Amino acid sequence: MTKQAELLQGTLDLLILRTLDLQPLHGVGISDRIEQVTRGVFIVGPGSLFPALHRLAEQGWIAGKWTELGNKRRVKVYELTKSGRSRLAAEKRNWEKVFTAMNRVLAEES
Amino acid sequence: MSWISRATVLFDQIFRRRRSDRDLDAEVGAYFEEVVDRYVERGMSREEARKAARLKFEGPEQVKQNVREAQTGAVMEGTFRDVRYAARMLRKKPGFATVAIFSLALGLGATSAMYSIADALLLRPLSVPKPEGVIAISPVTDQMFPGLSGISYPDYAQFRDHNRTFEGLIATSFSSFGFAPNRENVPKMKYGMFVSGNFFKVLGVEPQLGRGFLPEEDEGQGRDTVVVLSHELWVSQYGGSVSAIGQKLWLNGIEFTVLGVTPESFSGTDQFVRPALYVPFALSPRMGAVNNLEDRQVRWLAVKGRLKQGVTIAQAQSDIDGLTNELQKTYPKTDGSLRMKVETQLQFQTNYAPQRTVFIAMLGLLAVSVLLVACTNVAGLLLSRSATRAREIAVRIAVGAGRLSLIRQLLIENLFLALGGGIAGLGIAYAAVKSFTSIPLPSDLPVKLDMQVDTRVLLFTFGASIVTTLLFGLAPALISTRPDLVPALKAADAMTSKTGKPWGRNLLVAGQLAISLVLLVVSAVLVQGFQAEIVRGPGFRTDRLFVASLNTSLLRYADAQTELFYKQLLDKTRLAPDVNSATLASSIPISMGASQLGVVPEGHQLELGQEAITIFDNVVSDNYFDLMRIPIVRGRSFAESDNKDAPAVAVVNEQFAHDYWPNQDALGKRFHLRTESGKLVEIVGVARTTKYLSISEAPLDFVYLPFAQNQQPQMTLIAEAKSPDAAALAPVLRQVVQEMDRDMPVFDARTMHDIYTNRAVKTPLLIDGIISALGAMGLLLAAVGLYGLVTYSVSRRTREIGIRMALGANPFSVLKMVLKEGLGLGIAGVAVGLVIGVQLCRALTHTAFLSIGELSMVPFAVVSLFLLFIAMAATYLPARRASRIDPLRALREE
Repeated sequence: MTKQAELLQGTLDLLILRTLDLQPLHGVGISDRIEQVTRGVFIVGPGSLFPALHRLAEQGWIAGKWTELGNKRRVKVYELTKSGRSRLAAEKRNWEKVFTAMNRVLAEES
Repeated sequence: MSWISRATVLFDQIFRRRRSDRDLDAEVGAYFEEVVDRYVERGMSREEARKAARLKFEGPEQVKQNVREAQTGAVMEGTFRDVRYAARMLRKKPGFATVAIFSLALGLGATSAMYSIADALLLRPLSVPKPEGVIAISPVTDQMFPGLSGISYPDYAQFRDHNRTFEGLIATSFSSFGFAPNRENVPKMKYGMFVSGNFFKVLGVEPQLGRGFLPEEDEGQGRDTVVVLSHELWVSQYGGSVSAIGQKLWLNGIEFTVLGVTPESFSGTDQFVRPALYVPFALSPRMGAVNNLEDRQVRWLAVKGRLKQGVTIAQAQSDIDGLTNELQKTYPKTDGSLRMKVETQLQFQTNYAPQRTVFIAMLGLLAVSVLLVACTNVAGLLLSRSATRAREIAVRIAVGAGRLSLIRQLLIENLFLALGGGIAGLGIAYAAVKSFTSIPLPSDLPVKLDMQVDTRVLLFTFGASIVTTLLFGLAPALISTRPDLVPALKAADAMTSKTGKPWGRNLLVAGQLAISLVLLVVSAVLVQGFQAEIVRGPGFRTDRLFVASLNTSLLRYADAQTELFYKQLLDKTRLAPDVNSATLASSIPISMGASQLGVVPEGHQLELGQEAITIFDNVVSDNYFDLMRIPIVRGRSFAESDNKDAPAVAVVNEQFAHDYWPNQDALGKRFHLRTESGKLVEIVGVARTTKYLSISEAPLDFVYLPFAQNQQPQMTLIAEAKSPDAAALAPVLRQVVQEMDRDMPVFDARTMHDIYTNRAVKTPLLIDGIISALGAMGLLLAAVGLYGLVTYSVSRRTREIGIRMALGANPFSVLKMVLKEGLGLGIAGVAVGLVIGVQLCRALTHTAFLSIGELSMVPFAVVSLFLLFIAMAATYLPARRASRIDPLRALREE
């Protein structure tokens, strides 16, 4: 999993969906992008990445397609589907709700 | 969406595991390769890079395992949750589950049992490879039992050698053989088959051991005396030993060599009788059937074949028609009216005995109507439940349950019911088949009624139960998951918002009552008819008689020898201890061995193409009528003077006399035997009509011929005992026969009483039992349905009833109101049922093979009253509950 920070339950899905929202990527690409964007806070290893990818594909939110890279390596590139896009929107709203709620709680305490 | 895609994943995992595995392999593999490449770019060696990647992450195997768990886990977890929930829901309403499963079980049990019976009696294909390709060729006849007529050997040879549409045509004919494994043994009677030389080859049956016949073994007078044994005979006589091949055995006193053994799965080409052994036709003249290979009037073969590639039945028919035309022209005397029918084996089986087919179709229809009642019951239950569950479903949708996951869950609930009903139904079917096979057959014939609950029955049962529950359980569920939440949540019950009566349910229940009334009335009428026949009796005596069959052709007696043998047999039997009297007959009434005879009454105009009128006959010796106590109403019975040199005579029954000489005296009238040009026979007596084939038959035409003028090798000795214990004659008769010829086999030895009770009493009673059971099931189901409907309607109207009572209605008027509702349905159902029942029973009385007698109104009245009483009882319980509703509580329930 991650060394830097514990992933909140359900956040991995949101991370992946959001990442694929920008552009279709393959496994390593997704890991790299998440690491870059979060500046190394979240590092997603294959042990949690692949189950999440397959779970999302199963739900029909993302779809994988075999593609050949420049170096002749065949990889499965995932992209967001239409229902994945609306799922992302819903997850985003949900996250914002949770985020604001958490912040309120924390603000009150301090 | 979610569960469909999950289902596809589950499907993938089960059926395409390998493919999805390979996919995952490649994907995870590519990931690690890329990581390793990256390390190598940073300057590590490939080996070090691999190690580093493995240290940093879980290994590829672990990753794949994680993925798999995520996939199956999700699907399985959801399903298990649904199963658990479904079980809990059904447990919460045990009454509902019990009634639904019980209804399904009854309906399915009845239909499955009937299907097993129909399969054994009618539908099962021959036990050969590609049985659907077997085609039957049989003569067109207007006989009551078309299956009893056959094709002559020379005609068969013509078809076999000159047809252009068949791969091959085979012929078979049953025959009894005197079988002895050693010269010293007393031969035993075995039923075997004469078969054409191409028999095994055309059918595609490979002998399990040894070989089948060569073509030259069925040519001329038969090259070698060879025999192929059935698997059963091989096991019983040779202990299933390989050394049986090549061994010698004796058939009708002739030495034979065992060529081969048929496989266990092969049961011959007859549905019921399993031949013990197979002998080429060419050997039949040597076995005692002297002219049978040349005489075109001895029609004793059953012919079947396989079509050439791409040939249709219609083409084969016209091919055979062409050959038949030639035969008609070449042999006008014997084949002038010959017509042939080419049909599939299944068609042949159903046309073989039309009575049987009609009978089975009738039972099947009754069973299906029970299934119908059961299904409507379950449908009604599920419909009413879906109404009560509408609120629960609305709540669950409101809190965010997906419509599809709800449907999946309802699906699982319904499958629970279907499986429960299916399993219990199979149990019932199994018990029914078991009781049906327990009836013994009154003959030594190796008849095997192979009734079983097989895979097809299993599939049928579960298929039917699943379709029923899904159709009636899921369809309403689909409607109730339509997200129109507000009214459903508001109303205590979604359905009360709809005004008006549940017409669909009312119709179902009234229909159920009507169908069960029809079932009960038909069974009552049949039972009454059978009972009346049994009380009336068969028309001949059945007490103190012992019968035993003999066949002199098994020892190849010449005609003179046969004559002498039977004459002496009668004399010696009459003198034997404990014997009062004895006679001979070619067949025993009601036993199954009835033979048929073609006759042409003098001056009778035959229909075009008709060769003769076929009627049942019996060849008897002179004191048959006395001994069997069959009254001669006109003229005389046979006398000793009716011998070979005297004019040919016959005794006919009253029915025959009435049919061909109405309002005339049949005495002195004459008829031709076999064909219009056949020997003339004079009628010297008219006997009372008795029962000949079964106790419930309508009166049949029948002819008796004197044995002295119509000698034949196989006869049955009937002996009358001095004491009531007829079975005591068994050793006496055996002793008499042994003293005359120690090699003579005695078979089918039993008391007349045995034959009569098994064939005439037990079988009809069993059939009655089946029909009554079907009727009772129908009634039970209808009562449950009515009870369910009224209970449901009362529970829906609790509030209304509460208001009525609060406004001053007394309990009695509430009781009356509810009772009226139920009884209205009862009366409607009974009325419709009566109309159908009367029509059906009328139709039944007109069928030729069932004599029900005068249609009495008593069963109709009794059954109708009974049904109304049941309807009343089923309504009374919920009605009483309604009348005791406490208005305060009913109103507060909101």
